[in-house]
Amino acid sequence: MSSAEQNLAFEQLVRPHFERLYRLAWRLTGAREEAEDLFQELLIKAYGKLDDLVQIDEPGSWLCRVMYNLFIDERRRFARRRMHTVEEGQLIGDGLEGMPGGNDPVRDNERLEKIRRLDRALAQLSDEHRVVVLLHDTEGYKLEEIQSLIDVPIGTIKSRLHRARARLRDILRADGTIT
Amino acid sequence: MQNDDSNRQDQEILALLKDYPMRAADAGFYEQALVRATHEGSRRQRNRWMLTGFGAAIAATVAAWVVGGLLLGTPELPGASDGAAIPGITIALQEPRTVNLVFASATSLESAMLTVSLPDGIELDGFPGQREITWETSLNEGKNLLPLTLVAVGTAGGELLARLEHDDRDRTFRLRVDVI
Repeated sequence: MSSAEQNLAFEQLVRPHFERLYRLAWRLTGAREEAEDLFQELLIKAYGKLDDLVQIDEPGSWLCRVMYNLFIDERRRFARRRMHTVEEGQLIGDGLEGMPGGNDPVRDNERLEKIRRLDRALAQLSDEHRVVVLLHDTEGYKLEEIQSLIDVPIGTIKSRLHRARARLRDILRADGTIT
Repeated sequence: MQNDDSNRQDQEILALLKDYPMRAADAGFYEQALVRATHEGSRRQRNRWMLTGFGAAIAATVAAWVVGGLLLGTPELPGASDGAAIPGITIALQEPRTVNLVFASATSLESAMLTVSLPDGIELDGFPGQREITWETSLNEGKNLLPLTLVAVGTAGGELLARLEHDDRDRTFRLRVDVI
């Protein structure tokens, strides 16, 4: 296969999944730059495995799993360094400008403020809890889909979801977002 | 009554989560990502082939110690940023090399910002394509070690800068990186 044919085959395999993958990258990282880096690194890795990719029945699911593993590897590297990035834990604000507004500025402001507080609350969760609650409650992934992505038992996912929601409730109740 | 409150609060949180926004990818991002992937993927494949073909030792990580100084609170050491001889290392193309930078501090420091700026063609392992990486970190009194694993993806080499900032003080450490 020539280089041009190889590139075309790759594009045809991955392009249909771009939006899903970008959403996943965003939910995993919580920030645009990190999401773009993760997306880019996935494509580079996937290109190197084109021979495998052409034989996979569901390339979308495979790509999501590879992306999740890249994300986890990156986090572990940071943990070993005993440092954290400036952006880590600072999800606040990034992406909020993408919120559609309604016709009522007061209500919009209230909603925006609530989302900001949710942002801060999510930043206080562990990666494990944050990812599960965002994939399930925001992106609408089924438990089985999350299981195939992160490779832990359904019971563990349910437990993480329950704890994540409980922690969010505690934080948002304490700061008056919910009463 | 308490259960009713909890259920209502849970519903409110679920509604917020469903509404939780994310920004769509910038126009052109997907196209650029695709081009970079095919370009970079081809380059990595070529490098893998060359390494295998010539039976080279792959990815042996060798640590080099570059003891320099960022003496916060004391005069800057020669070689830090005053134009004196800059410490340097030589690394091989595509071969990860760990450089241990040693920073000294007169006192312990919380929430210092460390920024590593890389020359073209030199990457920090695990951060492909990134020219500048910033961490928040803490320093103990005395010597502090920062291992950086560098990978040369081009032959140009250049100067790596590690800038440490705390409050209104900062010091920049320079390291010459040559590629063979």
